[in-house]
Amino acid sequence: MRLSDLLSVAFGEILANKLRSFFTLLGIIVSVAFLVAVVAVIQGMNAYVKENIAGAVVGTNAFQVRRTPIQVGFFDDEEMKKIQRRPRISVGDADAVRTAIPEAQAIGLTTGFPTPQSDIAWRDREVGDILVFGITPPYQEVQDYRFDAGGPLTDTDIAQRRSVVVLGNEVAEKLFEGVNAVGQDVRLGSEHFTVVGVVAPKGKVLGQSFDSFALIPFTRYEMLYGRRLTTTISVKMREAVQVDDAMQRAEEAMRVAHRLRPGQENNFSLETASALVDFWKQLTAVLFSVIPAVVAIGIVVGGIVIMNIMLMSVSERTREIGIRKAVGARSQDIERQFLAESIVLATTGGLLGVFGGWAFATLVATVSPLPARITGWSVLVAVLLGAVVGVIFGVYPARRAARLDPITALRAE
Amino acid sequence: MSPQIEEVGLSTTAERAAVVGAAGSTPDKDWVIVTRGLKREYDMGGEIVRALRGVDLAIRRNEYVAIMGPSGSGKSTFMNLVGCLDTPNAGEYWLSGQLVSTFKDDELARVRNKEIGFVFQTFNLLPRASALHNVELPLVYAGIGSAERKERAMEALTKVQLDNRASHRPNELSGGQRQRVAIARALVNRPAILLADEPTGNLDSTTSEEIMKVFETLANTGQTVIMVTHEPDIAQHARRVVVLRDGLIASDTKREAFSAKLVGL
Repeated sequence: MRLSDLLSVAFGEILANKLRSFFTLLGIIVSVAFLVAVVAVIQGMNAYVKENIAGAVVGTNAFQVRRTPIQVGFFDDEEMKKIQRRPRISVGDADAVRTAIPEAQAIGLTTGFPTPQSDIAWRDREVGDILVFGITPPYQEVQDYRFDAGGPLTDTDIAQRRSVVVLGNEVAEKLFEGVNAVGQDVRLGSEHFTVVGVVAPKGKVLGQSFDSFALIPFTRYEMLYGRRLTTTISVKMREAVQVDDAMQRAEEAMRVAHRLRPGQENNFSLETASALVDFWKQLTAVLFSVIPAVVAIGIVVGGIVIMNIMLMSVSERTREIGIRKAVGARSQDIERQFLAESIVLATTGGLLGVFGGWAFATLVATVSPLPARITGWSVLVAVLLGAVVGVIFGVYPARRAARLDPITALRAE
Repeated sequence: MSPQIEEVGLSTTAERAAVVGAAGSTPDKDWVIVTRGLKREYDMGGEIVRALRGVDLAIRRNEYVAIMGPSGSGKSTFMNLVGCLDTPNAGEYWLSGQLVSTFKDDELARVRNKEIGFVFQTFNLLPRASALHNVELPLVYAGIGSAERKERAMEALTKVQLDNRASHRPNELSGGQRQRVAIARALVNRPAILLADEPTGNLDSTTSEEIMKVFETLANTGQTVIMVTHEPDIAQHARRVVVLRDGLIASDTKREAFSAKLVGL
């Protein structure tokens, strides 16, 4: 029997029972769609994190000197104790780093954990839970802030501990609703501040806004809130290739500043944007190890359904098998026919699943902030998975069909 | 080896044994079917049923033979063996000079495909396939390409005057037409023997006559036809009647002597 004949019989059977075929395949379709959609969303997020978040948090061509490492998830107790024993990052440390890297484009300080959340008010309006950071002006350069209105905080603001504030785009929008924010007097907590600038939007990631903040001079901040547990030194270089060398010198400078002896562990952390991306990848790696298990369960269940339907089909078509054998079909012809049918069936399920997953991922990308990227390998895996399921769960029914005795089969009703 | 089957009545086992020749010897090519001491037993839950107890039979090319017998006589078993759907427990079965009783499953499938054309009481057409595709089926398993298949299937349908119904499905055809499609399917691979099992069993008498005419025509054009039936009316069309009883040949009569024998049945 020729391959074209096998396939034409297989397609004929599947099309003759469209609804049944569809329901048979539902398990495979859903599992494969899930696989494709989730992989697409994760891949999309990976790309997004790389392009947007990492840049937004750390800055491009930049690294940070921090008291605590950037961590996704939780520290264990041991690590936590070690980190708690670390000295805080001081302004002096920043000076040391600045001396070590004279060619840096910008070196700025930001206050860190715990970041105070404050309400901000203008006239009778109020916006709640704004993140308040104390910064030095170069931080704004590290972050590549563009200003929709006004300008950045200046060295004079720092030196004079002025009560001035730069607002994130979202805060300004909500608070002023179109009124020019620059020069307005706002209350941050109980203190009065004058708005000097509004930062252009940085965007949202996973519904988390990067535009809901207020930046005030570092010196004014410490007067109000005191020294934070963590303060971050952000260093921006002009070229990406300079980053590694600069990090080394920053590390040496920090060790000297913290009076560490050779062999002693660093009591500070150096982080780059790529480190953040790596953390994100660690997180998604967990997802990637869970997905196959979920998909495998779905596929096995889907495969069993296919096997069940194929067995049913064999017993329904016993007479047909008898007829085919009587006119000269060998057992292997019958086996191949049923195997072809289950493979075509399952592969069709895989393809429908890919389509469903693609549609779902596209829908997610359209209606939610989650990006989605369909990857070639997930499609390939999905289709292969379908074919493999067809083979594995098709063999037994096909063998049963092939082993039927022609005389008995011909007598079947 | 005696070619005088018409002359001698072959009424005794000894006479038949003489015709079919010595065990192991290849029959003369004139004989399309030769069985020697064909035996078939079934184990029915511990009880051995001896369906065939040693059948010696020789059928010449171009013969038109009816196999008769009451139910339980072994005629269905004999039919299955001749049709290569089953294998004997003992004895030889030669078909077109091949000792098919020693063949394995795949070889038997090939023999069914090339040498035998089946016509069944219940037609046994594929319900979802067109008449043309049903006729094509044996050619599919012969590995013949689509274009040649269609051509030969049309040819076979033309032989049974159904070329104008080629695209119809079985449920769009009458019983007689369905049986003619089945006959076309049986003929399409130009088999050595056409094997019909109660071909008119599901048909009314007018249609039965029509189908018998088709067989008649085929027999007249040189096709070997073997027909299993329990209806004397139908058997009457054949030129030779073999009657089985209790797993043995009870009589073997050429047509001229048939009427007289029938009275004795």
